[in-house]
Amino acid sequence: MRSTSFSYLLFATMLIALGAIFLWVPTEQEMGIIQRIFYFHVPSAICAFIAFFLVFVGSVQYLRTREDKWDRLALCAAELGVVFGLIVLISGPLWAKPVWGVYWRWEPRLTSMLITFTIYAAYLMVRDYGAHSTQAPRLGAVFGILAFVNVPLVYYSVDLWAADQQLHPPRNVELAPAMLYTKWICYAAFFLLLLRLLAQRMELARIETAVARLRQKLSDEV
Amino acid sequence: MGGDDPIVLEGAAKHFGAQTALHPTDLVITRGQAALLAGANGAGKSTLLRLVAGLCRPSQGGVRIGGRDLQRTPEARAAIGLLSHQTLLYDELTARENLHFFARLYGLDNILERIDAALVEVGLSQRQDHRVGVFSRGMKQRLALARATLHRPSVLLLDEPFTGLDTGASTALHRLLREFRTTGGTYLLVTHRLDEAEGLVDRLLVLERGRLQLDESLQDDLDADALRARCAPYLDVAP
Amino acid sequence: MSFLGRALAILRKDLQAEWRTKERLSPMVFFVLLVLLVFNFSFELGGAALREIGPGVLWSAYVFASLLGLGRSFADERENDALDALLLAPGDRGAVYLGKMLGNLIFLLAIELLSLPFFILFFNLSPGFFLVPLLGIFLLGSACLASVGTLFAAMSNNMRLRELLLPLLLLPMILPALISCIEATALILANGRFEKLLPHLQMLGVYAVVFTVLSLMLFEYAIEE
Repeated sequence: MRSTSFSYLLFATMLIALGAIFLWVPTEQEMGIIQRIFYFHVPSAICAFIAFFLVFVGSVQYLRTREDKWDRLALCAAELGVVFGLIVLISGPLWAKPVWGVYWRWEPRLTSMLITFTIYAAYLMVRDYGAHSTQAPRLGAVFGILAFVNVPLVYYSVDLWAADQQLHPPRNVELAPAMLYTKWICYAAFFLLLLRLLAQRMELARIETAVARLRQKLSDEV
Repeated sequence: MGGDDPIVLEGAAKHFGAQTALHPTDLVITRGQAALLAGANGAGKSTLLRLVAGLCRPSQGGVRIGGRDLQRTPEARAAIGLLSHQTLLYDELTARENLHFFARLYGLDNILERIDAALVEVGLSQRQDHRVGVFSRGMKQRLALARATLHRPSVLLLDEPFTGLDTGASTALHRLLREFRTTGGTYLLVTHRLDEAEGLVDRLLVLERGRLQLDESLQDDLDADALRARCAPYLDVAP
Repeated sequence: MSFLGRALAILRKDLQAEWRTKERLSPMVFFVLLVLLVFNFSFELGGAALREIGPGVLWSAYVFASLLGLGRSFADERENDALDALLLAPGDRGAVYLGKMLGNLIFLLAIELLSLPFFILFFNLSPGFFLVPLLGIFLLGSACLASVGTLFAAMSNNMRLRELLLPLLLLPMILPALISCIEATALILANGRFEKLLPHLQMLGVYAVVFTVLSLMLFEYAIEE
């Protein structure tokens, strides 16, 4: 699909999602209006984990093939994963304040997400500050593989640590049909957003590399 | 030419990001050859040498040592000895302990006899139980030579080996290299001190900006001035 | 030479060098002592709170010390480019990782054991049977730290900002193991039941095995040029 038509599709889906969230879906009885943040919070979390998985795929493939495109996938997916993770970590406390009475609790889901977020933030540190540009893709790939393998271990150990602290709404709550539809529209909108941003960012990264090559070539010839 | 020449580069190239350190290069060095690799700073000499040593992974193409691909058969590295301007030794250990460690790392047999013989050869038997950290530069380099040849490699790679050598050590290195060749050994010498290469090489390779620009056979007795004259067109500055 | 033989040769060399200089062990033990001291002032230790924060304090001190020690673990190899010599040796380079990792494991264990008396003293613990299972936790926890730590030390070896990057990489990655170490230590100090301890031991075991195996596979990529 051409990127403009893809953008129109994304735009339409987002409009529908916004309409559904703010105009159509009924307000949840217990939590009230604040429950609507859930329609941003949950899809962001899913997108973050899709992005982390893509970091893993890109990293493995980069080490196997040494093709730049896989490295671009890993790097750009990591950036997006961190951004979506940040949305989760900001929207969560906004929801928690009225419902739990505090912004933050060291509750297993929150803690796991925070740790996972720091791992991928560290990945970006490796890429940006640590490695010389020539080794960044390789070292990033090694870290990207370890990071992804670590995610289930983070969740398991945090669950062990604070099993009795569980407060986060479980994932399989029964929803009214309207809420269910809204949820799925939001999943679609966020997923399309992730794809669009990823494509855009990867194209930008490709151009950056091409410019660097050209610049190098010019300075070689002079 | 057989398929098991000591050093073969097949379209080997190395990129560092956008930078190309070595363009795709084909090169065959046959048994008993002694090649001098010259070029200006940054021409790719070290990159080529490190590719041949298996210390650097080719971005394209391959490197074969004695007919075995370095990336696919890491055992092929057993045929290589590397002597560089760095000693590759541990300052905290004694001369003997250093050699002992490398002997174990290479899985050699008759370790003690080998070490004794190597220490005698480089004239360090008297100081074998002293820490390498207290050695002079020349002594360290002599020990490095013993280390590089302990496993009797058939290919020696020399990266600016004369740096900081005293006359004694330099003479010892010259003698060893000549002996090494008479026993069928092959070596590749990188140095910018062409006078040190006098009488040591029978083939001249010159790199310029990552490309092999000159490759010719030499008379053994070619002197430094003649070497310099041949390299001159490819060097940005006088060597 | 066998894979294990080469790994053990490197381990032996590292122990030999460390035995001669003690340049890693003594400063690290002293560092643990200082961290315990600092925490003592931060938390007004004493009384009932002691057992609750003690394990956290202890493991924090160990983790910070191990960051220093791991950072130094490739220093000898950097000097004189000795790492090149290790990489020149024939055979799978995973052996280099394994040798270095075992060395780090032994260093970390040594630090933990040498600084344990200070912990017992400062936290008014009476030595007893709890020391036996505690040593098991030390072993598992150190294995976890050494597994990723050695790989990251090798990676950061030729990074810019080496000293800064290693903690940034290692701390978030090691957190799952660290949580279990602290929890398990707390359980042991509180005479907790073995059934409650078991999941933490499993967690640490799985972490150590998974990351040792992964590091063995990835080491070549981490150090190549």
